[in-house]
Formats: sequence, structure tokens, C-alpha cells
Amino acid sequence: MPQAFRRILGPKRVFVLGLILGLGLFFWPARTLRSDNFVFYFPTSRHIIALEEIGQAQYLPLMPVLNVIGKVGALQEKRRSLTVWFGKVQIVLRVDNSAIQVGETRLNLAHPVRIVNGQWMVPVDFVTTALPRLTREPIEYQAGSSRVFIGDVKPTSFSVRLDPVPNGARVTVQFTDKVNMTTASSNGKWYLFLGDRPVEPLESSFRFSNSYVNDIQFDDQDGMPKLVITPAASGLNFYPTVAEGGKVVVADVLKPPPSEPQRAVTPQPPEAGTAPVLEPLPGQGGEEMPMAPAGPALPVVVLDAGHGGVNLGARSRDAVLEKDLVAQLVARVRLAVLATGKYRVVLTRVGDLNMGFDERAVAANLVRPQAFLTFHAGNLGITSPRVMVYSYQPPSPPLTPDEAPPGLFVPWTKVQQMHLGRSRELALALHQQLSQIPGITADRPADAPVRTLRSVNAPAVAIEIGSLSVDEDAAVLTTPTFQNQIAAAIVNALEAFRGGHT
Amino acid sequence: MTNRAKLLTLIMLTLMAAGAFYLRVLTRRVSMEAPPFGEQVARTRLTEAALQSDTAPQQTATLYFPSYDQGALVTEERQVSWAKGDTDRVRQVLLALIEGSHQGYSRGLPAAVKIRAVFLASDGTAYLDFESEGLEDFAPGISSECLAVYSVVNSLAVNIPAVKKVKILLQGKEVDTLDGHADLSDSFVPDPSLISPAP
Repeated sequence: MPQAFRRILGPKRVFVLGLILGLGLFFWPARTLRSDNFVFYFPTSRHIIALEEIGQAQYLPLMPVLNVIGKVGALQEKRRSLTVWFGKVQIVLRVDNSAIQVGETRLNLAHPVRIVNGQWMVPVDFVTTALPRLTREPIEYQAGSSRVFIGDVKPTSFSVRLDPVPNGARVTVQFTDKVNMTTASSNGKWYLFLGDRPVEPLESSFRFSNSYVNDIQFDDQDGMPKLVITPAASGLNFYPTVAEGGKVVVADVLKPPPSEPQRAVTPQPPEAGTAPVLEPLPGQGGEEMPMAPAGPALPVVVLDAGHGGVNLGARSRDAVLEKDLVAQLVARVRLAVLATGKYRVVLTRVGDLNMGFDERAVAANLVRPQAFLTFHAGNLGITSPRVMVYSYQPPSPPLTPDEAPPGLFVPWTKVQQMHLGRSRELALALHQQLSQIPGITADRPADAPVRTLRSVNAPAVAIEIGSLSVDEDAAVLTTPTFQNQIAAAIVNALEAFRGGHT
Repeated sequence: MTNRAKLLTLIMLTLMAAGAFYLRVLTRRVSMEAPPFGEQVARTRLTEAALQSDTAPQQTATLYFPSYDQGALVTEERQVSWAKGDTDRVRQVLLALIEGSHQGYSRGLPAAVKIRAVFLASDGTAYLDFESEGLEDFAPGISSECLAVYSVVNSLAVNIPAVKKVKILLQGKEVDTLDGHADLSDSFVPDPSLISPAP
């Protein structure tokens, strides 16, 4: 046997065979590549189906496609063929065959039908070749695009222009119809969400040779039409405004003004006269601060300004950032509390730093405070100005006395649970004072799983002012009048809380 | 070295070369095939489930969506052909929440959110693993973030009795918060007190 084997497969032949086999495997292309999505727009809904790239062609899975346009009655699958009864129409497909039968008509697709992972796949031109025979609704499909409009859908379109402005560039997007737009930023890019209306772009990608904007891409892969603006450098500011009743968006991409240390001022667009300006933080602009009187140790109040640094928090339509707004409010509260001469104040965040949750808790716990207040601003609906006060609510039921750990040690994640009762009292005291401020809506205190409060070893509450969202202007929240009223109410609440405590 | 030894050595070397080539091809395929699109996988599974339960009667599902004005969750009922398994039902509820309200209520989960995986443990904890990428579009704030979390927790618990608690993961890992506010370090139990009474 070895002799016969050696005669048939000599060393040279084995080597050549191995080489051919290896090269064959090396150049054997991957059969499928996952690619983009295909969006089916209907008058009141939209559906997303993943495209598969097989060879050089894009394919759609047959059954999900049929399911989005109607109802599959029955199907009969054999090893090499599939028959689907779709309404009154019978569709017959064969593997590796580009000819399909739809009712009485034989149609030729651009590429053969495939089976991948047990799914029958049809090339994208199935949308234009076969779908018109399966639905009576009008179908609008732009060749090469990844979206189709079925039924009475009137997609809007748009054009993009880029103009230079001092210290930046101006992007103007002109829509054919009114668009309800919202903005967001993520990973250094800006997003203009174009509302619920379907959008059919004439061009999906706009590239610029500009030192402020690299490109603008249209994307609706998740069913949400949006423009993604990629700035040319980090640190640029973005100021979108809507004009002509929502048909035009003008967005200025500008270099930020030179930073001034010790001042938390929201960057302002040079031409926008309407945006609110946050004043320098009291106590951080070099002015003299009231000092706590010498004498016996005073109770400590810890004030925590949420977010900070790269953690911007919420942002208003008129470009107020949560981190700046709450830092300013905390500075005013600090002044008001110190002015009573009855407390020491400790700030967890001084300046524009991104502090971790545990760093804040450690800073507070070290000074054994009488009260811990964390300040935030966020989306509180259409009512503004509005104030909410929260005490901590653990995501799972709190420890009962029987379950409470014995001895001196409490798990770090459950520290605040030892103070829930007092925290609720503090929240109630704050609500009673805040609700007396005219023109401000102060909701009843609520329990919420606020992460900042979780490990604070003291009565602790979160105060949220609003509404601060991209749909609303926040000018009223930045006024000294509003902030001083909040500060005064907090001082009164601390007094009431302290009185109840002693 | 004998001829036989030379032959065996040659065969071994050839096989190793072929194996190396094949490994390279495999590596290339793995790198070129992007991981499955989470939401799409979920949608596909939902489609499959819907196909399987084609004959199943439509039942009323109760979904909760945030009302930022009320600071509460508002109820929306929807007809659903439930899948057979609880895990698929969890996906159905999540996808319905991602789809958004049919009655114009606010969105809790952003439309771009993608589901990576869903597990239902024997103790009734539903582990929901989201991709972090689509979660940036939260309505910001303590109230809105907590309402978003409880819209998921309460919706799952009310529709799927097997779900007692919900643990939210991002990219398969535990995280502090979704967007800086709601404490995700523990599993969430439903909070019916957040549900706004029917008008």
C-alpha cells in the first residue's frame, strides 16, 4: 500500500496539490457580506430589512419583503424551488435561477435567486420587477438607493449649500416641504433628525473642501431620516436655526471663542443675539466671598453640580449647556447658604471637571454633611420653568430592617438606603419652599433611582430644573431672578429641615 | 532520513501550509462579515414569530410611554400576536417600544436603539443588552431617563408574567447609567406608581 501510495502521490505531486488547494482556499471569496438596510416607506409606517451582499449584488430576504407589503397565504418549499401564494398571486422561484414566475408572468431578475442561511434571497431589483405585480399601490424607487416608497407617500427632498462666515462656515439646507427637526450630537458629529416625513435625497453624500465641515451624509438606515454633519476638526460649535416655517435650516459651524478660565460661559454664536448668556459664576470671578464665621463647627451642606468637562449633559435650543447652567446655579446657592452664616458649604465639583459618581460621593461622605444636594437640568416637558425634587429610590426594593447588614459595614451601593426617610423629609421641605415661588411649577417630590445619590451617606436629594432640551429655549433658567429665587427657597428649606432635625 | 520519513514530512508541511492559508481565509471572512445588526436580528425574529403565530389570536398588549409633562407613564394598548416563547415576547415588547407610540406619546427608547441580546433567567430577571450607539438620543434629564427605564420595565412585567426584574446592559456590560442619571447598577423591579391613572 505505501508503495502504491508513493507511486500515485510522489512528494512533488503532493506539494503541488497542497499548493493548489491552499491557493484555491485563499482566493475563494466569502459568499455573503452583511451590508446596509433597505427601508420600505408606507404612508403611515416604515419597515427596515437588512440587505445582504452576495457576490457583487445586493439581495433582500424574500419572506420579510412579502410580509411588509401584504400577507403570505401559504408556501411550499422544495429543495431547489419555492412556491408562495401571496393573495391571489402565485410566485415560483428556483435556486440559482434569475427567472421567476409571478402569476402568469415570467420575469427575469438581474441576478439569480439564492438561499443563504435557509433564507430565500432575491436581488434588489425584485422591488421594481415583481412588487408592482403584487400590490396595486404605486411604487417609487430610485435605482441604486436603499429605500422604496409604497402607496400615497410624498417624500420630501432637500438641497445643501455651504457658505463661509467669519470664524466658520454656514450650512444651509433647503427642504421642499416643512420638516419637524430635532438636533443631537454624538461622537463628534451633529445630527439633524428630519422628523417623521419620508425623505428622498437627490444626493446622499456631500463632501466639502472646507476647514470647518468635512461632509454631510443623509442616513435613514434606522428608518429615521437624518443628516449627519461631520466637522473638520474637534471643538467646533454648532448653532442650528430653523427658518421659513421649517423649510430651511441654517447651521453655523464656528470656532469657539477663546476660553476664559474660571468663567463658565456658554459659547455664543457671534450673530445670534437671542441666545441667553450665562453670567460668570458667582464666587469664581474673583469677587470676595462671604466667609463662614469662626467658632464651633458648622453643619456642612454639600452642593453637587451635575455633569462637567466633556460630559455636557442636556443642551437647550438656544445653546445653554446643562453643565454650565447647574454650575452657575450651584454658585448662587452656595452664596445664599454661606450668607446665613449657619453652614459650611462643600462643592463636589469646582470648575469644569467631569467627576465620577463615586468621586462625588466620597467628597460628600468625607465631610459628613447634613444635606447633599445634586443639581441637574433636563427635559421636563413643555411647562417651564419647572422644578422637580427627587429622593433616592433603589431599582430593587430597599433593605428591610431584617435584611439590613449587621455591624458597622454597609455595602457602598446601598449607603443611601440608610437615609431614605430623612432624604424624603428634605425633599418635602424643598418642595414646600420651591412651590411658593410665583411663576414656577414645582411638582411634588418623587422617588427616582438617581445614580449620584446612591452612595451618599447623608440625607440627599436631586433638584432638576427645566425644561432644558433641544426643543426649548432655556433663557428663563439662566436669569439671576430665577436662580436667586431657587437659592432662597433652598436656604429656607435647609432651615426648615434643620429645625425638624434638631 | 528514509524516503518514507521524507514523504511524511512533506505531507505534514503541505497540510500545515494549506491550514495556514485556510486560517487566513477564515480570518478574512470573520473580519469582513460584520456582526448581525441587533435590531434587525430582533426584527427578523419578530417576523418569524409573527409568521409562526399567524393563526394565534391577537391579544391586547399594554405598553407604557413617558409623559414628560405629567412626569409619569401613560398607557397605550395594542393588538399583538404573541410569540410562543417568553424571550421572543420580551423582544416583541421592546420592539413595540422602539417603534414608538401609535397615539403620539413621547418616546422612551430612542428609535435608533439596537437590541444586542435578550436573556430571561430562571429567577425572572430579564437581561436586556443594548448597543450603546443608539442610546445617545435620550431625552436628557433625571425624569426623562428614569421614565424611559420604567417604561421598559413596567411594559415587560405587565405583559410577560415570567419577568419579575429587568437588568439593563450596554454592549454586554454593566454600566452606571444610560445617560448620567438612572442607576443601572441593580436590577429594576416594576414601579406601578409611575403609571398615570386612565383619564
